[in-house]
Amino acid sequence: MDQGDAFYSQENGAGDEAMKQNYYSSLKKMILTAMIFIPFIPFIIVVGVGYYYFTSSLEDSSIFSMRRIVEDHRHMIESFLDERKADLEFVIRMHSFDDIRKEDRLREIFRNLQKQSNTFVDLGVFNADGLHVAYQGPYELTGKNYKDAAWFAEVLQKGYYISDIFLGYRQVPHFIITTAREEAGRKWVLRATIDTYRFNSLVEQVRIGKTGEAYILNEGNVLQTNRRSGGYLMERLSEVVRQPASDIEIQTFIQKQPNGEKYLYANTWLKNKRWLLVVRQDKADAFRRLRSAAYLIVLITVIGGGVISGVAVYATSRLVSRMERMDSEKYQLNQQLIRASRLAELGEMAAGFAHEINNPLQIIQSEQSLMEMLLSDMETQKTGPAGDAAAEFRDSLHQIKTQIARCAKITQAILKFGRQNDCAREEVDLRTFIPEVADMIRKKAEVNGVQLTEEIDADIPVIYGDPGQFQQVLLNLLNNGLDAVMERHGSSGGKLDVAARRIDDRRIEISISDNGGGIRPEDQKKIFSPFFTTKPVGKGTGLGLSVCYGIVNQMGGEMSVQSEMGAGARFSIQLPAGE
Amino acid sequence: MPDAASQFPKILVVDDEPRFRRTLARLLEARGLTVRAAGSGEEALAVLAETPVDVVVLDIKMPDMNGREVLRRMNAQGCRAEVIVLSGHASIDAAMDVMARGACDFLLKPCDVEDLDVKISLAYDRKCEKDKVRDRLKS
Repeated sequence: MDQGDAFYSQENGAGDEAMKQNYYSSLKKMILTAMIFIPFIPFIIVVGVGYYYFTSSLEDSSIFSMRRIVEDHRHMIESFLDERKADLEFVIRMHSFDDIRKEDRLREIFRNLQKQSNTFVDLGVFNADGLHVAYQGPYELTGKNYKDAAWFAEVLQKGYYISDIFLGYRQVPHFIITTAREEAGRKWVLRATIDTYRFNSLVEQVRIGKTGEAYILNEGNVLQTNRRSGGYLMERLSEVVRQPASDIEIQTFIQKQPNGEKYLYANTWLKNKRWLLVVRQDKADAFRRLRSAAYLIVLITVIGGGVISGVAVYATSRLVSRMERMDSEKYQLNQQLIRASRLAELGEMAAGFAHEINNPLQIIQSEQSLMEMLLSDMETQKTGPAGDAAAEFRDSLHQIKTQIARCAKITQAILKFGRQNDCAREEVDLRTFIPEVADMIRKKAEVNGVQLTEEIDADIPVIYGDPGQFQQVLLNLLNNGLDAVMERHGSSGGKLDVAARRIDDRRIEISISDNGGGIRPEDQKKIFSPFFTTKPVGKGTGLGLSVCYGIVNQMGGEMSVQSEMGAGARFSIQLPAGE
Repeated sequence: MPDAASQFPKILVVDDEPRFRRTLARLLEARGLTVRAAGSGEEALAVLAETPVDVVVLDIKMPDMNGREVLRRMNAQGCRAEVIVLSGHASIDAAMDVMARGACDFLLKPCDVEDLDVKISLAYDRKCEKDKVRDRLKS
């Protein structure tokens, strides 16, 4: 049965609440997850790709710049050594041994060489036996014999020699460039000393960032220049640096130091000397910008993530609460519809029932009339009952008549509730109409000590409807209110208020509020149903409010009730406003 | 004749309830009316065809032919009786409809016999007036 279902679902509405809450929270989770993760995916990809390309390009450029420094400096040092060697070779080609060993000549040559490059410290000439035959420079080296020196043997064999840095007789770090020449079957050797400080500065001036530096090592891992980060000339380094495999290659790599710091290295062998040119920079320093970029990216990710999450949370809660509101509105609308259709069905049923009852009622009534007539006839002819018996008989007949009238009243009320057919549509001005209706019960209210008040907006628009019917609606509501108030407060303290106000351009509301005992929530649902009454049997037909409901519906309005037990009830009629 | 008729208006009660027909007939006769009764629309039309009737008390819901149809056929037959509809099926629609078809009154069952009597005499007066006007127009 439809009606049964409607009641069932209505009463179970509260029971569904937990399930509904569950549904909304899982919906909320789902939307939230989608709203956070879906924007997050491209966001993370963009950040990740950006980071990857940025770091690799930054690394490339750092490494590239180091390689370039190595390249440039190798070239510079190689040219320097080549030039010095070429200077000496020029001298040795242009002069004979006998010529050059003359002190004047050698001094002139040395002066010329110093003009070429001020890194020349001294110049010496040796005969094939290793005897220092002539010398120009700050030391007294003439006459010393170098026959057993390693460099002397090598220069005789190879034609030239560039030494590592060493202390020699003079106990000062220096290195030498020597060349040899064979003249008339006898070899002689020219040796020049290079100022290591000046040479040092060539390399030492390299400066990259805070920690970038360059230095030269010989094959024995001994420093050939000072190292800014620690390590003096001729000091043997404890750490072993990876060496490039081929002579020309520039090798870059990252190597961890014994103290745990990581350095970015670039190194290469020099062409004309087995010296290793090393350029290195603290990795943290070399990739400092990388780290700040990483910090920035982390910051952006955190802020971006926060913004995405925040927006998602906000939007989701808005969305879900809106959905919830719409669903509950839909639910209420459905409930109203169900109730309205149930009432309509009931009305139809009741109307049909009333029709069918009316016929037998008519027969009963005519029979009753006949009996009355017959009784009168008998009385006049003195053939029937007389005295008390006749009076009782007549009373009984009267009672039948009364009860028929009562039935007729009920069926007529039902018919009114059922099909409300075309009724008058007249303009009703509530400003005069409501006081008129209120005046009808004012006497009753005053007698029972009920305070009856009216609050009617001065600018309330007119409404359209059947004034007679609408008067019935208001009277019914006012009487009900009066009954409720009197039941609770007795002869004083009761309040009944009728108010009319404009809701918006299209609707007005008339409300009738009382401070009676209120209506139980389960009764509120059924209050507009026909035959529903809380009054004792015989006191009310239970049709009043259902008829009111029908009339208000007919006028295109809605009727509802709000009530709290012990605080009173408020009936509201919303009607379309006329122009 | 009209004067004689005015004393004894002729009534036809049309209703499918036999008991009601009989009782109502007795009650109305007791009030000095000449009453005939018909149990269906067909019967009513037959009676109307052979005897002049002043006022018809007509039920709407009847098995074979409903009151509205009876009204239509009466008009077709050229019957000049005034019709009072007495129905348990009250609706403004039905009332408007029968009034439009020429009924002069619409009463809802259960209706008190006294009320009905009043309505009948009103209808009868109207009929007499109409007849007078018609006679005058004729002459």
